[in-house]
Amino acid sequence: MDKEKKNEVKRKDTNAVEEEKKQYIICRIGDEQYGLDISYVDNIVRMQKITRVPKVQYYYIGIINLRGEVVPVMSVRRKMGLGEDEITNKSRIVILKMEDVGYVGILVDEVREVIALGESEINRNTKSKKQDNMFINGIGIHGDDLVSIFDISTIIDNPKA
Amino acid sequence: MDLSQYLDIFIDESNEHIQSLSDNIMILEKEPENKDVINEIFRAAHSLKGMAGTMGFKKMQHLTHDMENVFSEIRNDTIKVNSTLIDILFDCLDAIEAYVDTIKQTSNEGDEDNAALIKRLNDYLAGANGDKPADAAPAADASAAASAPADQANGDKDAYKQIRLEENDIEKLQKAADSGLNLYGFTIHVQKECLLKAARVFLVYKAVEDFGEILIYSPSSQDVEDEKFEYSVSFIMGAAGDLDPIKQAAAAVSEIESVDADKVTPDMFKIEAAPAQAAAPAKAAAAPAAPAAPAKSAAKAPAKSGGNGGGKKKTINKPVTARTIRVDIEKLDALMNQVSELIIAKNSLVSLSAQANENAAKYSESGGNRQTFQEQIEYLERITTTLHESVMKVRMVPIENTVNKFPRMIRDLSRRLKKPMELVMTGEDTELDRTVVDQIGDPLQHLLRNSADHGIEDPETRKAAGKPETGSIFLNAYQEGNNVIIQVGDDGAGIDTEAVKQKAIERGLVSEEDAENLTKKEIIDFLFLPSFSMSKKVTDISGRGVGLDVVKNNIEALGGDVEVKSELGQGSTFTIRLPLTLAIIQALMVEVSGEKYAIALASIMNIENIPVSEIKYVQAKEVIYLRGLVIPLIHLDELLDCPPKEEKPDNIIVVIVKKGDNYAGLVVDSLIGQQEIVIKSMGKVMDTDKMISGATILGDGEVALILDSNAMF
Repeated sequence: MDKEKKNEVKRKDTNAVEEEKKQYIICRIGDEQYGLDISYVDNIVRMQKITRVPKVQYYYIGIINLRGEVVPVMSVRRKMGLGEDEITNKSRIVILKMEDVGYVGILVDEVREVIALGESEINRNTKSKKQDNMFINGIGIHGDDLVSIFDISTIIDNPKA
Repeated sequence: MDLSQYLDIFIDESNEHIQSLSDNIMILEKEPENKDVINEIFRAAHSLKGMAGTMGFKKMQHLTHDMENVFSEIRNDTIKVNSTLIDILFDCLDAIEAYVDTIKQTSNEGDEDNAALIKRLNDYLAGANGDKPADAAPAADASAAASAPADQANGDKDAYKQIRLEENDIEKLQKAADSGLNLYGFTIHVQKECLLKAARVFLVYKAVEDFGEILIYSPSSQDVEDEKFEYSVSFIMGAAGDLDPIKQAAAAVSEIESVDADKVTPDMFKIEAAPAQAAAPAKAAAAPAAPAAPAKSAAKAPAKSGGNGGGKKKTINKPVTARTIRVDIEKLDALMNQVSELIIAKNSLVSLSAQANENAAKYSESGGNRQTFQEQIEYLERITTTLHESVMKVRMVPIENTVNKFPRMIRDLSRRLKKPMELVMTGEDTELDRTVVDQIGDPLQHLLRNSADHGIEDPETRKAAGKPETGSIFLNAYQEGNNVIIQVGDDGAGIDTEAVKQKAIERGLVSEEDAENLTKKEIIDFLFLPSFSMSKKVTDISGRGVGLDVVKNNIEALGGDVEVKSELGQGSTFTIRLPLTLAIIQALMVEVSGEKYAIALASIMNIENIPVSEIKYVQAKEVIYLRGLVIPLIHLDELLDCPPKEEKPDNIIVVIVKKGDNYAGLVVDSLIGQQEIVIKSMGKVMDTDKMISGATILGDGEVALILDSNAMF
């Protein structure tokens, strides 16, 4: 099975001159589309009861029960200074798995699709002084749409670092 | 031969023997005449030597062998125990420990042969024996034999000639000889690396029995089966054929080092018997002095010397130990996790059944099935609770293994610092979770060193202060509710709070004016700051300012805390409070502003329902006055940033919690009930307040926070 996959990749590599593409999960927060590198995504769960945790960083909404483990959920909206989340029945919690800090959930308004982007399709010159841009490390071009690529390492803070 | 699979066992057992040696040598120093202790020491040293030999660690074997010689002399009253000897022995122990450490890391004993140490040992032996030249020679012989292990074999050569036979055995031989059989004596030397010695010997028996019949076994075949021999066995057989093919067959068995054999006659044993007996007393004198070769052959051929053999047998029989198995901690953790899951599942069944009960009551269903269902749920609840307790107990180990190295440490410190002091420990059998025990060693060691270095004064000062010259340091451990308390302290100088205050001002930690208002506790807390040292000079024992802050961090990382009590001139006591278990606790579930919280049952004193009118004010703070206690109130909804309530109730529910001698009343909206909860980590990204010690998953899958009332004081 694995071998087949490898072969497939190999074939792709040899047949097409295509660059290697990375897959991104496209989520909507407000009116903007964001891309999350799929290699960090463990799971996507529906909205569920989030237990508030007092006296933590303001952008943590609380904790949820993910298959018997307690996982913190953060609001990217709050962290980026975009106001409060509105919970609808499209809201989802994207569970990211980080190597050094474990599971962290982020709340998004909607999960749309999975796309593949090559490095040439991402504009990396997005440095700006605007605060909410700190968490973006590129803008992907996907057809007519623009996708802001999250810099996951700056969104999820590592208190030890 | 691959011995790596035995390496772990070797390391574990070596450490046990080293600890036993250390403990017993400490006792020996105090009671030099205690024969039981000396025997125990001898046993441990002997086992260490044997194990090192089996594993092929020659240098370690050599060192332990020479130690064994010394112990043997002590046992034999030829040398007296004094502190010089004890020092040498402790140095030897350290060297052996170093070997074991090296082996642990590299599977190899390293290059250090500790020649200087061995020389010191032998010099001491020679010196002590100087006035008894008769004994000196065998002692020297013994060490010579030990330094060349190959020579040892020669000592046993032709041991079959030494077999002492009973009258009827000789008759048996005579009969065989009369019937025309040739009698051959054999001594088989098994390779020292051989692991299944008994099996090899039996293969030899089997091989030679193709040629004839074995008449005499020495040691007996039962002893051989039990591996009650070292590296060689002897036997006498009767065969019709020549010796050579038999000898070859025996030597062909693998892992047999050599075979000595020759023709024997029954008369040889008749003649031998008399001198052997006559020689026995002489041997008895020499054997303890030079246990190496003669003692070994005594063990191999117990028939040789009755009295002596009896004594030796003791050293071979292992002391009876508790029946235990070693289990990888990861397997235990997995088991623990599964029990946790089971408890969560059980809790959800319990809450489902409660709901079903309500429904049943509502629609007045027939109760028959319902009741049995209820009974089964309760049964399940009892089983899971017991199961949990058993698993917890498996994880619990006595702190003994960690603290039993301390008496030795204090002894060394006492000699180095030239201050007489002794350590008194109680409650070494107090049990704690394995992970906690593993990590509590360093903090305790820090505290004890502190006591020895800073706490205990020199003897003159102590005398002047009217205290006994010998300082006393104590370590007391006991269980209190869901906590284990370990107190470490001394009857020394105590903490000079004025000096600490001055130092804090010097370091700019506090202004001079503010310093005046500091309480004693606040001043002592300065000592827990990083790199805050009161020592005027830095020694290698303590005083570098790394210590108390590390102690505090380590203990807090384990979910515990440290408190200090100190009286100037009377001594100091550090009280460490540690949670008994890390994973599952009994908790009271409460509701605050619609949110559920868990409070550890162990910290709760009682629960009171109090009319609002009884709330009193002290220094503008709300308190209640209850049975002679003034208890400050903590409104959990305010503390936990809950939205303010619109209407105030007439009565408040107060959960009274305790920390040491302090009480506080936590005001909650309602009580949900007592529950067993599994403590889950909340991940690392959130910067949680200390009063939230974790989270738990309730029966309905909801997550609730666990409050640590200790952090609210």
